[in-house]
Amino acid sequence: MSLPNSVAGFSVLPVSYTGTSTHYIYARPHAGSKKSVSQILPDGRTLFLVNVPPDATERELVLLFKGSGTVEKVVFGLDAQESLVEPDDSDDEDEEELDAEETTIDTAEAVAQPRKRRKLNKPAAPTVVPLPSKSLRRLRNTGRSAHVVFLDASSLERALVPQPKTRPWPSSEEPSGLAHYAALHDALRPPLDIVRAHADSAMELYEFELKQTKQKAQYRKGEAIVDEDGFTLVTRGGAYGQTLGGGVAVASKKFQESGQTRARNKKKEPKEKAGFYAFQKAEKQRNDLMELKKNWEADKAKVEKLKASRRFKPY
Amino acid sequence: MALNLKRKHDGDVEPRKTRRLSDDEADADPKTEGLELEEDDEKWGGIAPIQDQTTVAAESTIPGTKPKKPPTGEELRVINDAKDLFQSSTFKLQIDALLPNIRPKAAKIPPLDRFLQDLHGILMGLSPVAPQHPLEASRKLIKKGISVAYCLPQPSEDTNWKVAFEKPSDITLVGSWPNKISVKGKDGSKFGVDLAIEMPSNIFQEKDYLNGRFFHKRAFYLATLAAGIQDSKTGLNVELTYESASNDPRLTKLILEPRKDDSPNDFTKLNARVCIIPVLSTNSPIPLHRLSPSHSNIRISSESDTVSVPTPLYNSALLTALMPKTHLLSTFAVKEHTPSFPDALGLLRVWANQRGYGEGSRMCVRGFDNLGAWWAVLLGLLIFGEEPKGKGHRRKPLGRGLSSYQLFRAALDFLSRHDFEKEAAFHKAKDGHRFPPDEYQAHHEVVCVDSSSTVNMLAGVPLGSLHLLQNDARKTLEKLNGAPIGTDPFADVFLKEQRDLSTRFDTVIRVDISSAKPRSPLLHSTLDIGSPANALISSIAALLHQGLGNRTKAITILHPSPSTRPLSQALPTNPDVLYIGLIHDPHNAFRLVDHGPAAEESDPTIAEHFRDFWGDKAELRRFKDGRIIESVVWDIKSTDERSHVPAMIVQHVLHRHFGLEDAAAVQSWQGGFDEVVKLPEVVSRVYTGSGAVVGFKGAMIAFDGLVRELKALNEDLPLSLSNVSAASEYLRYTSVFSPVPLSASLAPSLPQNARYLPSMEMVLQFEKSAKWPDDLRAIQKIKLAFFERVASALMVSVAGLKAAVVVGDGVSTSAIQDSSRLEIVTPDGWAFSARIWHDREATLLDRLIVGKNVLPHINVPWEKKKGKEYQEAVDAKELYVRRFIHAPRHHRAVAVLHHRYPAYSPTVRLVKRWLASHWVMHGHVSEEAVEILCASFFVGDGRDLSVDPENQIAERASVPGSKERGFATVIEFLKDWKWEDGLFVPLYGGASSESLQPPTATASRAGVWRVSTEADKEGHAWTMHGPDVMVAHRIRALAKATWNCLHGMEEGKLDVKSMFIHPTDDYDFIVRMDPTVLPRYAQNIDSSLTTSGKYANLPRDDSPVPPRPGFDPAQLLYDDLQRVYADTFKIFCDPFGGDRFGAVWDPTLKQPRPFRVLGGFSSVPVKKGKEKDKDKGLVVLNEAGVLGEIERLGIGLVSGITVQV
Repeated sequence: MSLPNSVAGFSVLPVSYTGTSTHYIYARPHAGSKKSVSQILPDGRTLFLVNVPPDATERELVLLFKGSGTVEKVVFGLDAQESLVEPDDSDDEDEEELDAEETTIDTAEAVAQPRKRRKLNKPAAPTVVPLPSKSLRRLRNTGRSAHVVFLDASSLERALVPQPKTRPWPSSEEPSGLAHYAALHDALRPPLDIVRAHADSAMELYEFELKQTKQKAQYRKGEAIVDEDGFTLVTRGGAYGQTLGGGVAVASKKFQESGQTRARNKKKEPKEKAGFYAFQKAEKQRNDLMELKKNWEADKAKVEKLKASRRFKPY
Repeated sequence: MALNLKRKHDGDVEPRKTRRLSDDEADADPKTEGLELEEDDEKWGGIAPIQDQTTVAAESTIPGTKPKKPPTGEELRVINDAKDLFQSSTFKLQIDALLPNIRPKAAKIPPLDRFLQDLHGILMGLSPVAPQHPLEASRKLIKKGISVAYCLPQPSEDTNWKVAFEKPSDITLVGSWPNKISVKGKDGSKFGVDLAIEMPSNIFQEKDYLNGRFFHKRAFYLATLAAGIQDSKTGLNVELTYESASNDPRLTKLILEPRKDDSPNDFTKLNARVCIIPVLSTNSPIPLHRLSPSHSNIRISSESDTVSVPTPLYNSALLTALMPKTHLLSTFAVKEHTPSFPDALGLLRVWANQRGYGEGSRMCVRGFDNLGAWWAVLLGLLIFGEEPKGKGHRRKPLGRGLSSYQLFRAALDFLSRHDFEKEAAFHKAKDGHRFPPDEYQAHHEVVCVDSSSTVNMLAGVPLGSLHLLQNDARKTLEKLNGAPIGTDPFADVFLKEQRDLSTRFDTVIRVDISSAKPRSPLLHSTLDIGSPANALISSIAALLHQGLGNRTKAITILHPSPSTRPLSQALPTNPDVLYIGLIHDPHNAFRLVDHGPAAEESDPTIAEHFRDFWGDKAELRRFKDGRIIESVVWDIKSTDERSHVPAMIVQHVLHRHFGLEDAAAVQSWQGGFDEVVKLPEVVSRVYTGSGAVVGFKGAMIAFDGLVRELKALNEDLPLSLSNVSAASEYLRYTSVFSPVPLSASLAPSLPQNARYLPSMEMVLQFEKSAKWPDDLRAIQKIKLAFFERVASALMVSVAGLKAAVVVGDGVSTSAIQDSSRLEIVTPDGWAFSARIWHDREATLLDRLIVGKNVLPHINVPWEKKKGKEYQEAVDAKELYVRRFIHAPRHHRAVAVLHHRYPAYSPTVRLVKRWLASHWVMHGHVSEEAVEILCASFFVGDGRDLSVDPENQIAERASVPGSKERGFATVIEFLKDWKWEDGLFVPLYGGASSESLQPPTATASRAGVWRVSTEADKEGHAWTMHGPDVMVAHRIRALAKATWNCLHGMEEGKLDVKSMFIHPTDDYDFIVRMDPTVLPRYAQNIDSSLTTSGKYANLPRDDSPVPPRPGFDPAQLLYDDLQRVYADTFKIFCDPFGGDRFGAVWDPTLKQPRPFRVLGGFSSVPVKKGKEKDKDKGLVVLNEAGVLGEIERLGIGLVSGITVQV
């Protein structure tokens, strides 16, 4: 066994599966980008893992690194944002939060968004009753990455030290295989009263937000768009085919969709009448004949080609 | 002889020369003939010279020589003619390219001419044989190894006439060869050069027409000729054999095939053979009037007291001995008269040969193996018109100005319209009818009398063969007329082999007649027809015709064409195996009751006859309207079996009248095909026992009931329900298995692995309202609220109904995508899953896709926002369009097809089963794509879909009438479909109601098939995600293999199930699963179910009650593996209870490559060879690791993984 201990700057962590097979996780201390210092992934105590097993849960990773130290949290699948050089500030954080809250989908998102807005607006938003979620495995694509945040920096170093023997892959209590699918099937069908409560509260929240935005933006239709220089942008969208703010007629829908104007005067009177002079007639006739011949030659060429492929031997 | 000819053709245009073999004339004749032809051509200015000019024109327009020159007048005429007189100019050019390939090569003919001269010398120099007793004569010949083909009734010792031989009075080349209209035969069969040897009149007597005496004398004459040729020391290096047309010993001819020796008269290269046919001279003593169809010419001593029965076929066989020369002349006359005749005949015969009307090594249509001359007669009939027969209309002559293609079409048109059963056809003859026309119709099945107006060319041809011909002509005309612009029907019409039984017949039955014992003796017909085997076959044809009545459009008997036999064998060997092909008439074929005569019928013989025909099947029944009728009832166990009725009748008739009953003697394949779409016996027994309404009917009833309940809920809902549409294959008759419910009471009695409950998709539409929120996320939430309301209300209003809201699919995380649904399980155990269609979603999604630009409302086409949100919206839109717009519409269209074409949905079911059992259905080919694909063979150009189904229009001939034929047709199509060309199917009746759809933002598209309909111009609605190139190639390969398997039908060794067993050798690894935990395992193609639980006497109590609708863990695992390892391997499975997955690694991953963070596959670092080696950071696919993960992901399901090398 002369497997390298490190590959392209990553230390190799072999993990043995129940069978005889071994899985390889690649680990490196997390290096955040310089532009934005993320609170979620603090430098110094965050371990960046590549090729995490597709069915890994947070608990399983915690157990895997138990020997190195206490794990504060695990964040899955940030590779996309990390590798792209421009971290797109707030949006990403939103998603990070989303992903970090690694339970079920709908609730996480529904909760994640209002929470931010709540900070901006004084009146308290209604909370959404979450759908019940059993802890279920979420299967990610193979070969993806994860961040493990330790409590202290020393654990990180310990985690990167090559181990004398391969660690076994731990397993958490979330069901897998057949049991997982059965549980998933049941979890997707929550009791009706909870569905109702969830839907009602989600709608309440939506109404609330709608009210908020309305207050902020006043009435959409009435407002003309005026830029810094005081020019009014003439656009479609007002009532009765007029601009926002009224007054000016608006470009056709076709122009809006295609960005192109229709050619005016489509039917231009041809200057000379066709077939007025004898030579025109003769020319037209000649061209027609030429065309005919051209097609004929083309057909002939086509058949010749087929003939070459011995197609005309019926049997 | 020349004198004779002249006399016969007095008053003809001019007495043309027959090409004679005598001395110097043989050389002189072809030249003069050719010269004359050319002169004539110039006079007419018809088609033939034009072709010459075409080649000239082609030469004159070689690129480089003034391309701008306008076409000359002549060229112009050629071009215009091609367009006007042919289908299209390409069609004409293709015909021109085809014709030379079917003619004998002129350069190879001279050796044959030399050979014929030698042969002529030998034949004329044969020494006479004195008259002697026939048996004595044959004994003498036997010593030389030549037997005499005496036909029935055979001469006996007390025969008092004698056979003799004298040198022929004349030798003439006849048939197609001297007229230069020979057409190459199928399967490399040789050109026939027919040599008519005129037997001298003085060896015949007047009474020779009686009791086969003429044929005996003829047989002896032929045998003596054979002996003469064999003995001759002149060195004719030929193989001598006998061959009998239609296996009729009376029509035996001598075949001379050259052996290869490179001598000057070795014509092996020509691929021809010389056939010696003894003929009768016109001044022979045999009186012609004795040979009319109504005369009886066989007297059997034992029954001399009975009324003599006419012997039409015998008479007709005798008349053919007079025919060859007159035919030669009349054909020549047609050829002279109509310049395009030879080409038209060539086209017609190529067309016919491709369809098995002629000799060939595969199955040929019975009666057509010796009918070469008939095609010329047919064209002559069209050109010259019909001889008037009494009253009634007369077919008008077409005249001679037609092009070859027009003449070909006219022939097809005649074939497709002419009612062979009722109408006789008489070629125009010079001196009117020789025999009364009615006599032909009274004594022959089919009548087409040639220009000599004596011989019925179609004597002995079964009616069913002509019905098939009619059907084929119709099919071809449909193809020629309905060819859409841009497609070329040429290949289909002339170049494609069409003899495959499976795509041609709705039902194919293989019969081994070697052990057949006819119930009623066939003595007379044996004598009339000429051999016991032929009499048996014709009796089978007649009885089947009687038994099937109007259920079929054609009942065709096929067998290989007769082969040559050595001279030592007197009588031809008859085929033991016949194929009976049926073409159903969909309106009548599946009738369950056949009515016979009424009980009060005055003539008791009619009822007697009926009972005699049907045997114990015939019963006297009283019907609801009070009639008491003799009838035959076919009982069937399931609706699938209804399609077996025609085959059942054939089997019954063969059993009753010919004593053929065991499976080896009568073999059909329908049962095998049924088997693959049927649930195992163990399961179906439970359902039939429970008395529940199952199958499509049950599903429809349950659906209608549910719709009623939903509509009744209006008060409980905030918005009223405006529309409920189904969108499930279970509700449009196209699911592989007929749907079955799974109620709590049924579940325990079913095996654990037969408890799959499919849930049927439906779409709910509520009335329009302004109250819907204008936000995608909120719409998804409000759908939940609706579902909850409907669910609670339904559970209150219907006792025993269970409803649950499904909040997602467990995979998708998008909040804007429609993901929730309502799952309803009716009290009877049917499961439905309903979704809500809200059309505002489309607008909102479009807004996201189009996005906001600098100019807020103006879409700038060249700039697209590509973010996560955009991608999410595109995916959601695609799903929305597919789920809510395409699916319900598709469902309606397919349901219509089911009612329109009875064989459509069974075909779809078979094809789906086939694709599924080869592991390409789920995850690769969508159900809807298969449905559209299959529909293309039924809807044609879609014109008859828009016609009101009530008024029954003539069914198109190309519509398959049974699922077996439909299946074979689809397989044939798939085996060489070029999917790049796409396929357009007018599924919605040709009327394209949709305006052009806005250009949809195309996400990455994996599928390569393009199956478009009027509603889906792009053709990717159902093939967006697959099959990809690799899978498409695989399907093609599988179709090829299956097609070859179907060919096994012709050897009788087709095993239907073997076409549905998937070979797994090509996969890198196979994931095996534990069948006991798969709820669909009962549907596996070869499942072995255990009926009972552990203890026979205890009911099984291991079931989780209630069952989970739509729960199939194997499917879920498959989907997960496909998604998780999308870039690592390709995985395949059989959705119908498959207990294995097969997968192939992505081969590129096996190469070591540098490590990347976003590699996207599970890797292992490459071992360093030596310590010194620089660490390149290479990694390679960790196969063992992935397999370990699969085992863990499928714990409880996966029982093992086999890695194949």
